[in-house]
Amino acid sequence: MTTDVVSATLRPGLARPPLRDRLKLEHVVMGGAVVALIVLVVLPLLSLLFGSVKGEDGLSFDHFSEVLSGRLYLTALKNSLILGAWTSLFSLVLGLLLAWAVSRTDVPCKPLIQLTATLSYLSPPFLTAIALTYLFSPNAGLMNVLMRDTAGLPWLTFNIFSMPGLVLVTVMHTFPFVYLLASSALLSVDASYEEAAQILGASKLRTALSITAPLVAPAILSGTLLAFVNALALFGSQAIIGLPARIFTLPTRIYALFDYPPEYGLASALSLVLVLITVVALYLQRAFLARRSYVTLAGKGSRPQLMQLGPLRWVMLGVVIVIFIVSIGAPYATLIAVSFSKSWGLEFWKGLTLANYKFILFDYNVTQRAILNSLMLATAAATIAVILGAVIGWIDLRTRIPGRRFLDYAALIPLGLPGIVVAVALIQFWLAMPVALYGTLAILLLAYVGRYIPLGVRAANSSLRQIDPSLEESAQILGASWMTTMREITLPLIRPGLFAGWLLVFVPVIQELSASILLFSSSSITLAVAVYNLYETGYIEPVAALAMINMVIIGVAIWLANWVGGGRLVSRGDAAPVSA
Amino acid sequence: MAGIAIRGLSKSFGARDASFAAVADLDLEIKDNSFVTLLGPSGCGKTTTLRLIAGYIVPDKGTIEVDGRVLSSPGAVVSPEARGMGMVFQNYAVWPHKTVFENVVFGLKLRRVPTAAAKKQVETALSLVNLSGLEGRYPNELSGGQQQRVALARSLVVEPSILLLDEPLSNLDAKLRERMRTELKELQRRTGITFVYVTHDQAEALALSDHVAVMSGGRLQQYGTPFEVYAHPANRMVADFMGLVNLVPGKVRALANGVGTVELSPNFTLDVAALDGLKPGEAVDIAIRPENIRLGGPGGATTRLGKITNQVFLGNINEYYATLSSGQVLRVQTHPLQQFKIGEEVAIEVDATQCSVFRRAIGDTT
Repeated sequence: MTTDVVSATLRPGLARPPLRDRLKLEHVVMGGAVVALIVLVVLPLLSLLFGSVKGEDGLSFDHFSEVLSGRLYLTALKNSLILGAWTSLFSLVLGLLLAWAVSRTDVPCKPLIQLTATLSYLSPPFLTAIALTYLFSPNAGLMNVLMRDTAGLPWLTFNIFSMPGLVLVTVMHTFPFVYLLASSALLSVDASYEEAAQILGASKLRTALSITAPLVAPAILSGTLLAFVNALALFGSQAIIGLPARIFTLPTRIYALFDYPPEYGLASALSLVLVLITVVALYLQRAFLARRSYVTLAGKGSRPQLMQLGPLRWVMLGVVIVIFIVSIGAPYATLIAVSFSKSWGLEFWKGLTLANYKFILFDYNVTQRAILNSLMLATAAATIAVILGAVIGWIDLRTRIPGRRFLDYAALIPLGLPGIVVAVALIQFWLAMPVALYGTLAILLLAYVGRYIPLGVRAANSSLRQIDPSLEESAQILGASWMTTMREITLPLIRPGLFAGWLLVFVPVIQELSASILLFSSSSITLAVAVYNLYETGYIEPVAALAMINMVIIGVAIWLANWVGGGRLVSRGDAAPVSA
Repeated sequence: MAGIAIRGLSKSFGARDASFAAVADLDLEIKDNSFVTLLGPSGCGKTTTLRLIAGYIVPDKGTIEVDGRVLSSPGAVVSPEARGMGMVFQNYAVWPHKTVFENVVFGLKLRRVPTAAAKKQVETALSLVNLSGLEGRYPNELSGGQQQRVALARSLVVEPSILLLDEPLSNLDAKLRERMRTELKELQRRTGITFVYVTHDQAEALALSDHVAVMSGGRLQQYGTPFEVYAHPANRMVADFMGLVNLVPGKVRALANGVGTVELSPNFTLDVAALDGLKPGEAVDIAIRPENIRLGGPGGATTRLGKITNQVFLGNINEYYATLSSGQVLRVQTHPLQQFKIGEEVAIEVDATQCSVFRRAIGDTT
């Protein structure tokens, strides 16, 4: 055996120097993704930490001591916790009731329940909040006027600008978290577990308490914690409902700290308090969810017997219809009605008009720019998030590079960061940099990509997991370089998953408010910010028209996402933070 | 074509404190133009060895040479795409988004073979594996066996010097497996490519290989022709793994002229070829294949008797369990027409030349 034979068998063009001797393209691509993740997530977060302990001279915990003793901040913390607690409780009751009804009873119109939960989950909470102010603002709210002046029942009026109002608006967005996790858990409990208890002589109640409940409890608790985390982070509804009632929460208090003169240190410290609560809750949620595995193991078993509710099922149906009307029907009908009204009030139908749309679309010079900005930003953010996600996912699953776990964790960090915190961190970081990004589209893009990178990584991860590594390895052994393998094998195979992930990012970005509100400028204004600003300035009817335009764009994006992803967007039990 | 020399190859996985050696200190010489099987139970390190040869894994220690050129060593590994080898995976790894033709032509495109020539080569490769006419199909329109052959054609079309096969038949049903077995053997003879074949199925290994490397716990247990490893296993593990065997404990009663008399049970001794340095009184295990035992009527015999305690009819053979007076049970395979009743006393005749003797190591049970 001579070396001549070797060079003949290793075909020309395939023989290359050993791995360590060359800088391969894949290392450049992977290195780029790592750098991007560090710039997007790690550095802003570090500068948030740094900013919170930066005093006049050197390290100081003044910001933290003020945040933890000042009345304003303690009140905000208290309000956030009260809001979170009530919201979790009602989300639990509502979500569990609906999940139980769908999976274990013979209640009619089950698709209506599914639809209610899905639409509530996908509706931008700040739009629902605005819609409800049209009905329940103390003086001019249509329902209040109706009850007080027309029906003469002043005790039936409801002031939306209150903690109960805020809880109502928030629950409408958060109960689906419990519903989605609880119903999938209840459906996946194999009926034979329950039948085995019954054949041993356990009553229905006993079976439910000692077999079913322990099996599904982790999923329900996990859903409740997700509801809590999301309730805390929703800037839009807390600003729209809370501020007129002088109810400050952590996000709105952080927002207020940016009024002139901005208090960066305090805002950073307060942000970290919010992050801490969120992270603890998410940690508990993961821990609960991890215990759920044995339910899904038995997934394909027989379905449980449905409980015969008898006449009670019509009561149950009534409850479902009320929930649908309050959370979906009324807000949307109101927005539509207001947007076509000359003047919103008891006799609004007497002056129906298209003037609001004409004003918003053609006369109000912000709208077109905002629509264009939002579409561009969402497209760019979704594309970048998915590409980064694909590279990070690939590194995690296909390489043995040391530190790849850290990369994966870093990409998940933003799940624990409320939008307004992302904005504070970015401001802290980029103000210290020599590049003037503040107020540009670029900083919004950074915020969106940073915030939604977990969705990109998750989409890429789950697609990559379905591709056996041997598909790539067999291309490699035939002589394909990394780039060729990616182009010819990997990317074509994960393309559907990546596209679903793309839309999964696009949809929340197009309705993003809580980070945008601190980062926009008049030239980089986005759709959601435009709606919020217009509402703040007190236009009534044009706001509804703009909100409707926003809704239509979101609706089209969601429809597209669902159509492409085959229902994946809606059926995700692990509930991405779609909150605005 | 190409021979492979593996020297002192080691690979561990897992964290440093909890690592386990998947391959430990492996030496193996694979001759040019031969069919070699890496055989062993799951977790024995055979697939790791194959992936080390392919270059997917960097060894911790040792080298892999192909025709005198070092391809793998701890410091430098020629990447798989530069090795000019072929590999067939257990799950076929036929790309689902490409047609049969696109799958097979992929390697030729990378080698910039002109379209017309490539088309011709693909046709030849597909006819070699009896898949002509299916060029336009997608993998999901093919059966498992057909996908398997697409994977084969895809590897063969680029004329690799070495073809690595990772349990390629394990996902096929029994009939098809047997047919593909013959085809693979045929193919290796015709192409002269060196085949390195990984399997846990000893029957497959015996049927296919020129040489079998039996592995266990990351170590090479025996390397030899199929007959050698079957008839003269190097140790208890190999004896046990290669088909059915009775491992019977015994004691050395006498030694003379290289022949040891081993007592298996009172009134039951065997004269076997003794191991070096065996001493009288030492405990040993004797491996007796069921087909090397014959049963007969007791006649007037007073030694080597047993009692039939169980019987299983397997169609082409009859299997009996004969219990010796010590309680030791022997599995015996006989012609289906030779029949005994349960409880019947039988004379047991063992072909001692086909038995292997193993020293009882400390800690061994049985």
